[in-house]
Amino acid sequence: MAKVAREMVEKTGIDVDQLVALLVKNASAELTTFYYYTILRVNLIGLEGEGLKEIAETARIEDRNHFEALTPRIYELGGKLPGDMKVFHDISACPPASLPADPTDIRAMLNVLVEAERCAVRGYTYLCNLTAGKDHRTYDLCLAILNEEIEHEAWFSEFLGEGPSGHFLRRGDTSPWVGKFLR
Amino acid sequence: MQERQFTIAELSRYNGKSGAPALIAYHGLVYDVSASFLWQNGSHWVLHGAGADLTDELVDAPHSAELLKRFPVVGILHHADV
Ligand code: HEM
Repeated sequence: MAKVAREMVEKTGIDVDQLVALLVKNASAELTTFYYYTILRVNLIGLEGEGLKEIAETARIEDRNHFEALTPRIYELGGKLPGDMKVFHDISACPPASLPADPTDIRAMLNVLVEAERCAVRGYTYLCNLTAGKDHRTYDLCLAILNEEIEHEAWFSEFLGEGPSGHFLRRGDTSPWVGKFLR
Repeated sequence: MQERQFTIAELSRYNGKSGAPALIAYHGLVYDVSASFLWQNGSHWVLHGAGADLTDELVDAPHSAELLKRFPVVGILHHADV
């Protein structure tokens, strides 16, 4: 644990144990989404599915990166990941992004993907609001993740015909925002 | 079922713990969120608990009351308590 780093956050009035619990829940959401997106990506095949495969893969890798980036902050603040993976799965901040009953229904696949991203956008917005001007490091991390989640939402939302976002696919490395926490 | 009236004391028994259903009140209506992954054991994001009137707490949430429409209304909060 980073003793003074935790103390500084406590001094702002933030309930650090509660914040850590929220970070653990979001770390779970990221790792479980990485897992469920693997299954979605494998099933994104055929004339319609192939076109989605690449962004699903980018979102999948970036979600795993989010898990990697959240973990050190949890331990710095005196928290830890649950020893039991089943417990970890069940405390996720977002519902499982399960494969639709009919995986050839590409709209159903897109709905699962966009709903998962929307849950994440909501969650990190809450965490940013909670930490803004108080816990600078957690805020910086959550803001970086939020930037990527918003782009993921936009990619899938465009495919659903909800209007343009002005985004391109990633060019170059994944995690342009969160990358600084992974080096 | 929709006609059922709950007092705050009755509602508090449906806190999602030890197999009890998870019911929450919002603007006088009582919703059953037991089926939600995000309300397991009656706890939502470690911040909110079932078995209570959460009308005031939704103000800080990163979502609107729209999401409540995913769940059935099982009664109304007793008038005296609203
Ligand atoms: C203030 C803190 C809160 C936070 C951080 C929070 C966070 C969230 C998040 C991230 C979701 C997932 C949204 C999505 O799928 O896009 C969600 C869903 C939901 N929230 Fe909240 N929420 C809060 C308060 C509340 C309150 C006070 C209520 C009730 C009055 C509530 C009721 C719900 C319901 C019913 C859902 C849908 C669950 C489902 O579809 O299974 N939330 N919340």
